Amino acid sequence: MSPDLQLFFQQLLNGLTIGMVYALIALGYTMVYGVLQLINFAHGEVFMVGGYLALTAVALTVSMGLGLPAWVLVLFVFLFAMAGASLLGAGIERLAYRPLRGSPRLTALISAIGMSFVLQNAVMLLYGTKEQVMPDILPHWQADLAGVTVSLVQVLIFVSSVLLMVLLELFVKKTRTGKAMRATAENPEAASLMGISVHGVIRSTFVLGSALAAMGGTLFAMNYGSVNFHDGYLAGIKAFTAAVFGGIGSIPGAMLGGILLGVFEGFCAGYISSEWKDVFAFGLLVTLLLFRPSGILGENVPEKV
Amino acid sequence: MKKRFFVAFLLFCFSIPPAFSKEDEAVIGLVAPLTGDQAYIGVGVMQGAQMAVEDANIRGPVFGLTRLKFEPLDDQHNPTQAVLVANKLIANPDALGVVGHFNSSCTKASSAIYHEGRLAQVTPASTNPEISHQGFDTFFRVCPTDDVQAPAAASFAKNDLGASRVVVLDDQTTYGRGLADQFEKRFKALGGEVLRHDSLTQGEKDFMPLLTKIKSVDPELVFFGGIYPEMALLLKQSKKVGLGARWMGGDGIYEAALTQLAGPEAAEGVHATMLGVDPHSVPEAKDFVTRYEARYGEIGSFSAYGYDAASVLIEAVRRAGRKDREAVIAELKKMKDFPGILGPINFDEKGDAVGKSVGIFKIEGGKFKFLKEVKPEPAQ
Repeated sequence: MSPDLQLFFQQLLNGLTIGMVYALIALGYTMVYGVLQLINFAHGEVFMVGGYLALTAVALTVSMGLGLPAWVLVLFVFLFAMAGASLLGAGIERLAYRPLRGSPRLTALISAIGMSFVLQNAVMLLYGTKEQVMPDILPHWQADLAGVTVSLVQVLIFVSSVLLMVLLELFVKKTRTGKAMRATAENPEAASLMGISVHGVIRSTFVLGSALAAMGGTLFAMNYGSVNFHDGYLAGIKAFTAAVFGGIGSIPGAMLGGILLGVFEGFCAGYISSEWKDVFAFGLLVTLLLFRPSGILGENVPEKV
Repeated sequence: MKKRFFVAFLLFCFSIPPAFSKEDEAVIGLVAPLTGDQAYIGVGVMQGAQMAVEDANIRGPVFGLTRLKFEPLDDQHNPTQAVLVANKLIANPDALGVVGHFNSSCTKASSAIYHEGRLAQVTPASTNPEISHQGFDTFFRVCPTDDVQAPAAASFAKNDLGASRVVVLDDQTTYGRGLADQFEKRFKALGGEVLRHDSLTQGEKDFMPLLTKIKSVDPELVFFGGIYPEMALLLKQSKKVGLGARWMGGDGIYEAALTQLAGPEAAEGVHATMLGVDPHSVPEAKDFVTRYEARYGEIGSFSAYGYDAASVLIEAVRRAGRKDREAVIAELKKMKDFPGILGPINFDEKGDAVGKSVGIFKIEGGKFKFLKEVKPEPAQ
């Protein structure tokens, strides 16, 4: 491959890596919006907590002195972070949103922003203000594919993200809970008249979304090797952009939006200017919304935020 | 009705609590990022300054029956917040001086407020040269500026490391961009070639696209004007993209945590300029370092500067002998050879510290090793 082509594919890979993480977070935004028409601004913090949970899981296994093989350790870290974040997600829903059901949407939105501050500061108090080091739990392995380097963490990001997205799609399409979710998203009143527990559906939406965000947080921490209580902010905003970009409320839209945003950002940073990459990313969103207000795959739903 | 509540709420938010002067209390403010992602450095500065205030109070009242009160405030390394905090301090009738701020962007933004409020400001660590070019007589600093630091780094990169093709990076802050621009200017003047000058955003984590691009121009050295969390990520990710260049940075990357965050392998061989020398190696600072480490653990990179900045300010308050902000400013202006723990402190007419040198360090075996000291060039 020519050096130019190599550079192109390397940049594409860089963009896909971060795009997958955006997609995982964006799913939570879009699912919650689907059932509640609420932008859950605390979602970025759930992603950040996921990173910290992964760190805690690694520290736990180290302190217990278990010499686990790498793949068992990775699996344990994933499950630990996802389980912990699911509990957190359900807790947030119960504490911050359920008491406000039926009140104006703005109230819930402000509650979401408040929750985000609470989580950020709670993590800061628990873990301190310093960047925390996420130890390498995967061996340093890199493949050279015709001049394009792929690391093991990147492979893991692709495989696990795609797997989770396929599982999610199956879950929403095939299972009873998934069907109940779609029914609630379409019309909560009619759904509850059909005997669907709307509270239950909302809770499972938060649980699922949080687990996906925690997965994103874990992969993010593993890829960059550090976690900080501020990480949720920027990643959350980007993922929110991705969700709107793809069409908020649409699950395939969030996946596509995340991946496209990551790739677009990567190319802008890699070819034009890393200084202006956020400007390009948000500029793209504005341009798209001018021509397709409902996003790439979004449907026209009444404006409720 | 609702509207009236809203107005009342707004009034409540913006009202400044009535200030009552306390006869026997003089307030020394400290402003640094005490929360947020640079809190770790800011808290180190605060602890240093706090120890100076406590030491002064142990010696007795600063004048008459007046004792010092230490008031730490947080600017979250955000210039907007810095201005709010500065306004709060100048509104306090007991405030006689402020140690701070830490980040050049915050120090610059707040310096106009302190000038207006006639409050003496001594920054422990803001190195951007332009801050003292604004003509504010309330501004002082105890650290060298990037006029010393950046040329020292550039000539070391060119002459000692033999690099002739470099890439310059900055984090778009007043400090980082200022340092990087100065480095670029001097490096070009020395006959070196700057292949690219790119910027990144503080708080970002993904620099792979940027580093991939840098790799394609194949520099011998990359200079980063910025702070250590981003530096750690740059180092780590540059290993991933297989970038073979040497790395160098300024005082912002001089932090023990850099090695932990980047991993010892990626951090090995990184060069940094640092204000002055390692406080561990200065005999005058030994007592302070021992006491600090017994109380808080490992000393922060700027804690000794926090101590020095607070000490010189307290001395000026003591010499002023009364609660008079103008007198404190005048005493700081007159200060000659104040025995700071990092060497004597003298201010020039702009308020910059005179004769402060920078040290050049290299990470060896996971620790910053002192290589050489660079004295400031005589003023042009």
